[in-house]
Amino acid sequence: MTIPIHYFLVLAAALFATGAVGFLLRRNLLVLLMSIELMLNAVNLTLVAFNRLHPQNHGGQVLAFFVIAIAAAEAAVGLAIVLAYFRLRGTVRSDEATALKH
Amino acid sequence: MEQLRTQFPADDFSLLALVLLLPLVGAFVCGVFGKRLGKEGVRTMALSAVGGSFVLCLAAFAMLTSAGGAHGAGHGGGGHAVTRFTWTAWRWFTIDGGTSTVPIDVAFSVDPLSGVMMLVVTGVGFLIHLYSSEYMSKDPGYYRFFAYLNLFVFSMLVLILGDNLAVLFVGWEGVGLCSYLLIGFWFGEDRKASAGKKAFITNRIGDFGLLVAMAMLVYYAGTLRFSTLETSQSALSQMRTVWPIPGLELPSWLIPAQPIRASVPTLVALALFVGCMGKSAQLPLYVWLPDAMAGPTPVSALIHAATMVTAGIYLVARTSFLFVLSPFAMAVVAGTGALTALFAASIAFAQTDLKKVLAYSTVSQLGYMFVGVGSGAFAAGFFHVLTHAFFKGCLFLCAGSVIHAMHHVIHDEEGSQDMRNMGGLRKHMPITHATFLISCLAIAGCPMTSGFFSKDEVLFKAFSSQIAATQPGLWVAPAWYGQAIYALGVLGAVCTAFYMFRAYFLTFWGDFRGWTIVKGHVAHHGDDEHAHGEGPREGAAPHESPWQMTLPLAVLAFFALFGGLVYAEPLHLTALERFWHPVFASASTHVVERAGAHAMMWPLLGVGATVFAVGAGGAYYVYAQQGGKPAEAFVAAAPSLHRIVRDKWRVDEFYEATVLGFIDAMGDTAVAIDKWLIDGVIARLTAAVTQLFGAGLRLLQTGRVQVYAAGMVLGVAGLGWFILTPHAEAEIDSSKLRSSGDVTFTAAPGHGYSYRWAEGEAAQSGDFTAAATFSTKLERCQTKQVRLEVRNVFGGTTETSFTTCREMGNDCCTAKPAAGDATARPQTPLQAPARAPMGGTP
Repeated sequence: MTIPIHYFLVLAAALFATGAVGFLLRRNLLVLLMSIELMLNAVNLTLVAFNRLHPQNHGGQVLAFFVIAIAAAEAAVGLAIVLAYFRLRGTVRSDEATALKH
Repeated sequence: MEQLRTQFPADDFSLLALVLLLPLVGAFVCGVFGKRLGKEGVRTMALSAVGGSFVLCLAAFAMLTSAGGAHGAGHGGGGHAVTRFTWTAWRWFTIDGGTSTVPIDVAFSVDPLSGVMMLVVTGVGFLIHLYSSEYMSKDPGYYRFFAYLNLFVFSMLVLILGDNLAVLFVGWEGVGLCSYLLIGFWFGEDRKASAGKKAFITNRIGDFGLLVAMAMLVYYAGTLRFSTLETSQSALSQMRTVWPIPGLELPSWLIPAQPIRASVPTLVALALFVGCMGKSAQLPLYVWLPDAMAGPTPVSALIHAATMVTAGIYLVARTSFLFVLSPFAMAVVAGTGALTALFAASIAFAQTDLKKVLAYSTVSQLGYMFVGVGSGAFAAGFFHVLTHAFFKGCLFLCAGSVIHAMHHVIHDEEGSQDMRNMGGLRKHMPITHATFLISCLAIAGCPMTSGFFSKDEVLFKAFSSQIAATQPGLWVAPAWYGQAIYALGVLGAVCTAFYMFRAYFLTFWGDFRGWTIVKGHVAHHGDDEHAHGEGPREGAAPHESPWQMTLPLAVLAFFALFGGLVYAEPLHLTALERFWHPVFASASTHVVERAGAHAMMWPLLGVGATVFAVGAGGAYYVYAQQGGKPAEAFVAAAPSLHRIVRDKWRVDEFYEATVLGFIDAMGDTAVAIDKWLIDGVIARLTAAVTQLFGAGLRLLQTGRVQVYAAGMVLGVAGLGWFILTPHAEAEIDSSKLRSSGDVTFTAAPGHGYSYRWAEGEAAQSGDFTAAATFSTKLERCQTKQVRLEVRNVFGGTTETSFTTCREMGNDCCTAKPAAGDATARPQTPLQAPARAPMGGTP
């Protein structure tokens, strides 16, 4: 017996919503990065789930690998930014990072 | 001669191309390479260009005279055609006329009238070039000067040789441009630069008249060629209503009881004359010419005395066949000329600047020329152009020679033109003195000089001639009009003789006054090569000019003295009149001589001689014998009169107050509107609105990443909602509704949409299908309701309804409030669209 597809989708939606809400509401930049990872992994989950449904050329899995690679790069850049920001301001609170305003 | 004639046939007379090309090349070379060529090179180029052009003109003129002789010229024949050599360069453009398409060619032609004029332009032009080569030798803008001067000769030749009005207009504008450039030659001084502008702008007013005349000729006559215009006079003899303007709504008090009508020739001639007024400095547009004396003196001699300012007379003479069709226009020409002659002469009385005296004298003499052509004496009037070119050119060059000498002594530009600083120059400058005296005699009308013959011929013709009406109903000048013109002219002639000899005696007689008057400028020029030390000087007297300057004086004076013999009617020497006769033949038929006038010729000649004696004798008595005391006594007796004459009747101030004041007021109004309405209200309002939005939008710009991300999430959510809900919309094709009653509905497509159509209010039944279109048919005046239900891929449904009515033109639909007057239009859903809840399985 196979697991129906909407199990995966519901789980992915829940993960994505958790990530999105976390990104919007948390004030720690490191947590924000983690929330982004959560959303990306939710997307990855939908991609491999659909790949199960349409396994002809494994497009979903290929795409998931791309997302993983990009997520790694994103995490590296993001952490570097956070580190630089912390050295500059001595804090990792996102609501104090308002230099974009000017 | 034979060889020349076969080389240059009469209908392809390309010799004119060479005549025109030489000065143009000269101008180009001097202007572009002049700085590198150096003064010697520029002088050679400019002089050889104009000189070569003059030689070619002589050749063309010789061919013209011999060809005229071959035709068997007889006096009074009137039948033989004008000798005219034409050269057509290329088709310029075509323009839509009133009845036909009018081609305009770049064409040039030479006939007796333009032949004489081109000789004057190149001949006098050459002499003045020679003179300038010395006069301007110290000027840093030497090459620029000669480039302009050559360009002027070219433009003037285009004006003269143009075979149609359009080409003439090009030359007309060209000489205006050169005049502007040369008046403002020393543009470093504000006064001179603005004198150039004044000349240009005043001329533009006149040029507008010329343009209007050309437009009217294109419309009514369908041609601008002089020769064709002459033969198509009949096309012009119509009457037109000029006021009230047809088709223009006017208040009743502006509409006269009898509409004012004018013949087409009158309108055209008056418009042409407006152009002449500007170019030839007639009342009321004369004001630029005295100011034009700000240019170098040779320019005043060439452009503002000998050639350009006579272009107006040339134009009237050229279109004489047109002017004589309108006795009214002729009377206006002659009257304006006579008034200008007297008015300008009166101003010349009180001027102390030598060049200003000559300038007003030029305006006055131009008036005489217009009296001549306006009285139907085209040959006599144009003969005065010729003699005036000689004696006034000579006078101006003499003045230049005097100023040249004065400037070496007193080093002050204003002062070296002021006659009060001169005096006694005949001892120092014998050649200048002799030539000035000869020209002075000529302009004052001393018997047997050229000016005597031309001026008295003009005045005699003004007295004796009358312009006959060519068609019934035309206004004709009353009998006394000619006499009145004559009287004005005689009065002006007395003034001319007086003020010219006043200038002569002040300049050349008595003792030299220049050393004592302008002291202050000596110290300033102490290190100059003509330094004189302090206090009243000895030695360094004004000295005669070099030969390059005196030779032109001598040649011009020779012609001023003897030039009259080519057209001396009292001596029965009428070579020039015979030569020109074919040109003016068709015009002269409308000029009739007053009965018994011929017997008056000798008495009127006596009057002419008396005029000279009175004017010159009076000046001798006042300025030579009494040393100017009577004039001082007169000034003391009537100071206000003297002041107002010295201030040129305050015409400039009057223009300043009225015309310029009006334009300035308009400008001020525009500035105020710009400042208060545009800048103050509109610009500020725009800024305020922008600021308001800016302030609002700035609140969104918090700089916090999470707020932006929230905006993104909201946007994506809205988009998602739009995609997930179904939308029931349809296009209605009602193009056949009126004819057959067929209406087609096409529903808007969407992702996974299926449709269900129904008519009327009945409940929906059946399945959703993929049919996106639905057709129905209406009876006349029938109203139908069509309902559309849409279901999307998620199972959500919505519904809308359309009401259609077939209108047949009897407003049967308007009774139904829902349909309105439109034949078909979508109605808002009668009830709120019922949406099924989201969800379901894919």
